[in-house]
Amino acid sequence: MIELINISKRFGSTTAVDSISLKVESGEFCCLVGTSGCGKSTTLRMINRLIEHSDGEIHIDQQPIRSFKEEALRRRIGYAIQSTGLFPHWTVARNIGLVPRLLKWPKSKVDARVEELMTLLGLSMDEFAGKYPDQLSGGQAQRVGVARALAADPDILLMDEPFGALDPITRESLQLELRDLQARLGKTIVFVTHDMDEALALADRLVVMHEGRIMQQGHPLSVLREPANDFVASLLGGEDRGLKEAALLPVSERMMPLGTGGVARERIDQGASLREALSVMLWRRVERLAVVDDDDIPIGELSFRRLVGARIHD
Amino acid sequence: MTDHWAGRWRVPVIWGLLLLAGCLLMGQLEALFRWVEPDSRDVIFSRVDFLVLLGRHLLVVSVAAVLATLIGVGGAIAVTRPGGRDFLPLVAQVASLGQTFPPVAVLALAVPVLGFGTLPIVVALLLYGLLPIVRNTLAGIEGIDPSVREAARGMGMTSGQILRQVELPLAAPVILAGIRTSVTINIATAALGATVGSSNLGDPIISGIVNGNTAYIVQGAVLIALLALTVDSVFARLAPARRA
Ligand SMILES: Nc1ncnc2c1ncn2[C@@H]1O[C@H](COP(=O)(O)OP(=O)(O)OP(=O)(O)O)[C@@H](O)[C@H]1O
Ligand SMILES: [Mg+2]
Repeated sequence: MIELINISKRFGSTTAVDSISLKVESGEFCCLVGTSGCGKSTTLRMINRLIEHSDGEIHIDQQPIRSFKEEALRRRIGYAIQSTGLFPHWTVARNIGLVPRLLKWPKSKVDARVEELMTLLGLSMDEFAGKYPDQLSGGQAQRVGVARALAADPDILLMDEPFGALDPITRESLQLELRDLQARLGKTIVFVTHDMDEALALADRLVVMHEGRIMQQGHPLSVLREPANDFVASLLGGEDRGLKEAALLPVSERMMPLGTGGVARERIDQGASLREALSVMLWRRVERLAVVDDDDIPIGELSFRRLVGARIHD
Repeated sequence: MTDHWAGRWRVPVIWGLLLLAGCLLMGQLEALFRWVEPDSRDVIFSRVDFLVLLGRHLLVVSVAAVLATLIGVGGAIAVTRPGGRDFLPLVAQVASLGQTFPPVAVLALAVPVLGFGTLPIVVALLLYGLLPIVRNTLAGIEGIDPSVREAARGMGMTSGQILRQVELPLAAPVILAGIRTSVTINIATAALGATVGSSNLGDPIISGIVNGNTAYIVQGAVLIALLALTVDSVFARLAPARRA
């Protein structure tokens, strides 16, 4: 658990972070969003003491972070940044094994761990282990950066736009992997991003920052539905919020039992989002979809009225 | 592997052999030098054996180079640490300004303080050789991508680990280039030592100038040039070969 209590950071006369309080539970995925310069990176870097906070207290598992030795604290917190910061004179495998080596793991264990992580992140050992960072594409380098952050199996991960430089497809697949990993291994993650769709898709807790302050925090759906002010509403997409909300809701949420009028021709998977369902309706020009399970067996149906109107009574 | 090694070191070995041959066989070229310098009785510098002069020359340059490297690299590291940062601008400026200061002037300033002999020339070479090393070490360390340093800290490396495992290896090629410049300049500059009573390959040159003997001057100059070429070509091959 990470707890920030009335944290401020001043650089000379500018206040980068202004008395924020934030609690990230163990196993929670917390996304920080906000306009450029609002203090997201500063907040993140105060947690592993790359920046010392000016005021307030930060606790990790109930202990003030200043009670740990700086290096010891950082070795138990994974850290990944957009520019990766891979060591250019080390191979991919050596880069990934950095923190385990700092922790003096035996060599065989480090090697096994590096191999495990490369497999996890879809980097083939044969192809990439011996490569140098400047021989990697942007996406491969960011994977290596994430693997390095995960190497010593830290409970906490701090990630500053780790997928910043990726194309939408690679980005989405890495998001899924990360989300999956987090759910499976119960990591606590604080994640900074500029991409609102990414934040909404990943977060259990969405934190909206503006000029060094937290404007609003909570579950993505509740922030979407009840933005605290116009700034939050517009940051979250203004008129696009309907689509963003639909992207977070599964079809199964609004589906109705199969009617007697026969099964609709166009189908949608029950795990798909309402946004995808809407897109299929628009594309196919139909107002009714058959909802199917994983074996493609119809289990219900979704009407356009249902899709848009379920919150009002049907 | 051996082929590779032989190929890599062929050039320095050739220059080195030429240098040795020059020291040992200069006497064989008496006819040639007599043609260069028909008016003098002696046309081969023989007051001290060329090999001995070469040895002294190398010794002075090496001592100065080792000291300059230790002090220069150490000093540059010190001013890039948090505790020494305040001095960074000053040191950087002195290092680049100092290059414009002629070595003869350094020597002229050193003699009144240190007297004649080998000490003033070592000090002059040390001071003069310090500058490219400091400048390059600073450039090498400051030139490291800030995100690499941030990641190194973020992963929990201590400042000592960052210095040894990240900063120095990454800056090494630039530092090495600085040492190379420093040594090459000082091989030539060391010849000035002959004017303050430190005997080395500068002796034939100074003696040639004083006695109007062009043959002597040519002998000293050629040997110094060969030495510089040998050492420089060794440095050219020291740059770490990062990948196979
Ligand atoms: N080392 C520093 N010295 C002085 N000011 C700084 C420093 N680091 C950050 N700042 C200032 O603090 C403020 C917040 O910076 P921060 O990097 O946290 O923003 P951010 O939200 O991460 O922005 P972005 O989305 O552009 O990455 C900015 O105004 C920045 O100029
Ligand atoms: Mg930032």
